[in-house]
Amino acid sequence: MNAVKLRVICAVVLCVIFVVGLFAGTVSPYPYAKQFRERPNAAPSSTHLLGTDSLGRDLFARLIYGTRVSLLLAPTAALLATLLAGILGGFAGFVGGWCEKVILAAADLSMALPLLFVLLALRAVLPLDISPVLSVIATFTLLGLLGWPSSLRVVWAATKNLRNSDFLLLARATGCGRSRIVVRHLFPNLRPVLFAQFWISIPVFVLTEATLSMLGLGVIEPLPSWGNLLRGLEDISAVSANPWRLTPLVLLILVVICFQLILPAQEETA
Amino acid sequence: MLAAVCLTGGLLSASLVRFSPGYGVDEQELDSRLSQASVEAIRNSHRMNGGLLSYYGHYLAGAMHGDLGSSQWLQRPISSLIKERFPLTAKSALLGVSLAWLVALMISLAGVFFRGFYFDVSTTLLSGVLIALPAAVVAIFSVYLRAPVFVAIAVVLFPKLFRYLRNLLNHAYCQPYILAARGRGISQSRILFHHVLPLVSPALSALLGVSLAVAFGAAIPIEALCDSPGVGQLAWQAALNRDLPLIMNLTLLVTLITVGANMLANVVHERAL
Repeated sequence: MNAVKLRVICAVVLCVIFVVGLFAGTVSPYPYAKQFRERPNAAPSSTHLLGTDSLGRDLFARLIYGTRVSLLLAPTAALLATLLAGILGGFAGFVGGWCEKVILAAADLSMALPLLFVLLALRAVLPLDISPVLSVIATFTLLGLLGWPSSLRVVWAATKNLRNSDFLLLARATGCGRSRIVVRHLFPNLRPVLFAQFWISIPVFVLTEATLSMLGLGVIEPLPSWGNLLRGLEDISAVSANPWRLTPLVLLILVVICFQLILPAQEETA
Repeated sequence: MLAAVCLTGGLLSASLVRFSPGYGVDEQELDSRLSQASVEAIRNSHRMNGGLLSYYGHYLAGAMHGDLGSSQWLQRPISSLIKERFPLTAKSALLGVSLAWLVALMISLAGVFFRGFYFDVSTTLLSGVLIALPAAVVAIFSVYLRAPVFVAIAVVLFPKLFRYLRNLLNHAYCQPYILAARGRGISQSRILFHHVLPLVSPALSALLGVSLAVAFGAAIPIEALCDSPGVGQLAWQAALNRDLPLIMNLTLLVTLITVGANMLANVVHERAL
């Protein structure tokens, strides 16, 4: 199988999972918080495709809703991080001088800070007993606000290359204004780089959210996300008796691998 | 650089602690046994560190003498908590980094020497699956398998190192002068130690600091879920108990280690040149 076919397959898999997550309300047989108290820890059946958890909630419904939370909000956080990196990195690369030095120093400092420690610190500032929806917003906003430094370096380097290119020199020589250069020449050439950075950030944020939620500092129950669904793995006896509890993990691995396999195509375009 | 990180990181930490909700409020004030004068004394002690700069000044002055403040949650000096917990995490992180580097280097070199479709596919698949596992899931599996903490850290670190090392070595072995050396029949070990490693050593040394940062980052979920009483578990418990002074000092400590490791790697690289 050649690389192009593999990428097409990965794109189709991602699209299917994304669409299922998007229409979770229609696809899911039950609401994610509905309890079947007479059937806790039920085995897979025609009524509960993946069985139920210890509280009697349908695992298939929770998986679909969890997919919506993780797969729709990770790209949003990635978009925020890429936007920040694009604006700051583009500005630093294009303007140069002391602005460039200050922005790069800030990026270097941010890269020296361990992401998970900083996320824990910032999450600790917020109250722990916030509503589930607020916990989702807080988690992914923090990811977006802290995920920009590595992308910034790439955008800055690309902008610097473009600034010294012949076509921008020509544009300047013909009297093009700064805003026209940015909008008509710089941004279209930076687009593939920004897109690649956006694409790289998504699986990173999905995995970070999973770790935070597993530690009880991410998305709060009863709202499901892949992270808090994976908390079910802590109960070894339940997992060994009911191996289908590993489904969220299998889905997470599949999605991250698909993102990684599609990635080279983006890098080539970048 | 180290001084800049110390000062800026310290200021950020101080700002976060100073402006966090509930700063300056002491639940001891609610103790009905305390007299009005005692309550007033408690309030005055908080007022002394009122502004951000004053708070930061006090923090810096204390830090110079090894006093990093007190943990709000454990009611103990932070420096003694770090002294107790840090050696365990440092040992796990160093062992984990060493193991991950050893395995990643061995498999990358094996891939270069014994090129083959099945070897490539299996190692790519292995690293792909491992890289897709959140550190917390690796921790849970290490609990299932009763593996030590450093092995879990190595499992988190290995795929990232392996992919980078494999690309570096493949790129190095494609250089024309190495192809020429191979053509002349120079032994593989001589090519590796005299031609390839000097070429990739700058990139390898740059990876060292990153490895340590990843290892300490992975230590949080791994120590928390494996119940290992190190700095990572302490940071997690501090976050759950909203103990900002403690978590900010731990963040600063890990940042300094990362920056220090990067600087050390740079020095080693410059000496090697």
